Amino acid sequence: MSGRGQVQFRDIVKMHGDFAALKDVSFEIKPGEFFALLGPSGSGKSTTLRILAGLDAPTSGRVFIDGKDVTSTDARDRDIAMVFQSYALYPHMTVAENISFPLEMANMPKAEISAAVKDAARKVRIDHLLDRKPGQLSGGQQQRCALARAIVRKARLFLLDEPLSNLDAKLRLETRAELKKLQRSLDVTAVYVTHDQEEAMTLADRMAVFMAGEIQQVGTPAEVFARPNSIEIAGFIGNPPMNLVPARYSNGDVIIAGHRFKTIMQASGERDVVAGIRPGALRVAPSGLSARVELVEDLGDTAVLDLDCAGTLIRVRVSDENVPREGDTISITARAQDIHLFDPTTGKRL
Amino acid sequence: MTGKRLRVFALLAISLVFLLAWAFPVLWSVLNSLKTDRDALAYPPKLIFTPTWEAYHDVLFGSASILPNLVSSMVISVGTTVVTMLMAIPAAYALARLRFRGKKFAGFYVLATQMLPPVGIIIPYFLVLRNIGWIDTYQGIILIYLSFSLPFAIWLLVSYFEDIPFEMEEAAYLDGASRLRTLWRIIIPQVRGGIAVTVVFVFLNAWNEFLFAVVLSGNTVRPVTVAMFNFVSVEQTLWAKLAAVSVLAMLPVVVLGVVAQKHIVKGLTVGAVKGGGRR
Repeated sequence: MSGRGQVQFRDIVKMHGDFAALKDVSFEIKPGEFFALLGPSGSGKSTTLRILAGLDAPTSGRVFIDGKDVTSTDARDRDIAMVFQSYALYPHMTVAENISFPLEMANMPKAEISAAVKDAARKVRIDHLLDRKPGQLSGGQQQRCALARAIVRKARLFLLDEPLSNLDAKLRLETRAELKKLQRSLDVTAVYVTHDQEEAMTLADRMAVFMAGEIQQVGTPAEVFARPNSIEIAGFIGNPPMNLVPARYSNGDVIIAGHRFKTIMQASGERDVVAGIRPGALRVAPSGLSARVELVEDLGDTAVLDLDCAGTLIRVRVSDENVPREGDTISITARAQDIHLFDPTTGKRL
Repeated sequence: MTGKRLRVFALLAISLVFLLAWAFPVLWSVLNSLKTDRDALAYPPKLIFTPTWEAYHDVLFGSASILPNLVSSMVISVGTTVVTMLMAIPAAYALARLRFRGKKFAGFYVLATQMLPPVGIIIPYFLVLRNIGWIDTYQGIILIYLSFSLPFAIWLLVSYFEDIPFEMEEAAYLDGASRLRTLWRIIIPQVRGGIAVTVVFVFLNAWNEFLFAVVLSGNTVRPVTVAMFNFVSVEQTLWAKLAAVSVLAMLPVVVLGVVAQKHIVKGLTVGAVKGGGRR
């Protein structure tokens, strides 16, 4: 792990007039980490990235990079490289000139620049396109050019703002894998903004989940997936999303659509809850919650069933074998540790 | 003949009519400039005559040579163009990019100056120039031309600057460029088409201007448009010489037009297609 690129956000607030784009955001990124800022659009993740880059100033709070307060440092003095969603390539310059621009600005000697440009271009496999203009490149090649321009300088922080969103589905998956390899081989701290939970899950070492200007959870993808700490995150992470149904908690059990499920909660007493069960955690079983199959979505290796359980819609993912037919009545169960309980008023995990 | 070919043919025919209408005065001037004064006055007009360079020789090397006037026009036009562009580029960039109080008003003011009929302000301009002692000076004429060319140039350039995505600048800042360097290395190269168009328009307006020049200049400063008027007098008009001067005065304009043609066509269609104004 490199020792550079440690980030700390302390109590960052960003106001746009009366609207709070960020409400008291604090988090830390460790050196060498691939850190994702995940959230729906308008949740504040891009604002956070722009504040980190120095393109926007926070209304209050401090930003630290490598222990130094950079809150009022200019973007160009922060030693940060960024890949923009639109790539922001300079259209009047060739690929080589685009990649060399940051080095020129750093007054690097000409000979070193040309070697560094070739090296960066080779890493993202566009070394055969150096004489082209951005307008003559495909979308994927433009994206690589933007990546090369960002990595050529060996900045201490590498910011990516939805870099894959303009690529088609197949290219996106390929580039995603390459991006991860690239970040590992460069051993650089990367901060990655995305609204695509799958991208965050596959790429990130850790992630911060944004909702309405606040960070609701920070953790590894596995942690956030296994223990979402609010209804919103539970519904946002995972595809198809977690089933979230109103239910009644009673002395360690939870009653969903009239059926009792065991939970890992020990508390006695009764209360209303929202129960969350991932579609993949539900099993078709000889006995359990009885349900009618409304719709079967066949995805090839798995199928997603829309079930009607006494008026409540529940989705189940089953493997290829034994897919029930539409109109069938089946029973489903879930293990106690797979049932998440949330407070219906605060939305927080119980 | 298919319908498509017929349509192309019709379009060509219509274009030809327009082209002739436009070209006629130019051709007529060229023809007249090659005649003797007597031939030029002949009625019905002579289409077949012995061409002579006499008129050109006279207006260039005769007693009333217009060479100093061509130089005068060049000094005024180049001066106006250079000063205009030096001021208009940063101003247009600021109007396109920066948020400041009264930006809307500033934009309107820039356009409003274009709405005044020039003849209405010629007396005030005369008085101002006389008070500061700049009547019949290059700086005086250039100053007056600036008051028209600058708002026009700013207004024309703003749309080009606005076409450039803000992210492009932010990328440059993150790449370590200062604001000035970003303007010079990233922004200006991308608006060079717009700059070319603006240079042509500003130069042409200054080159062809007559009204202010005839009132506010005179002996020391005497652009070719004013000098040309010498050949028109109460007693007679020296048609051949007038035509020769016209052709000579047209030359720089034609050369500039040919050089900048590609950019002008692009400039006139700016905004027609997304991103059409750039690159």
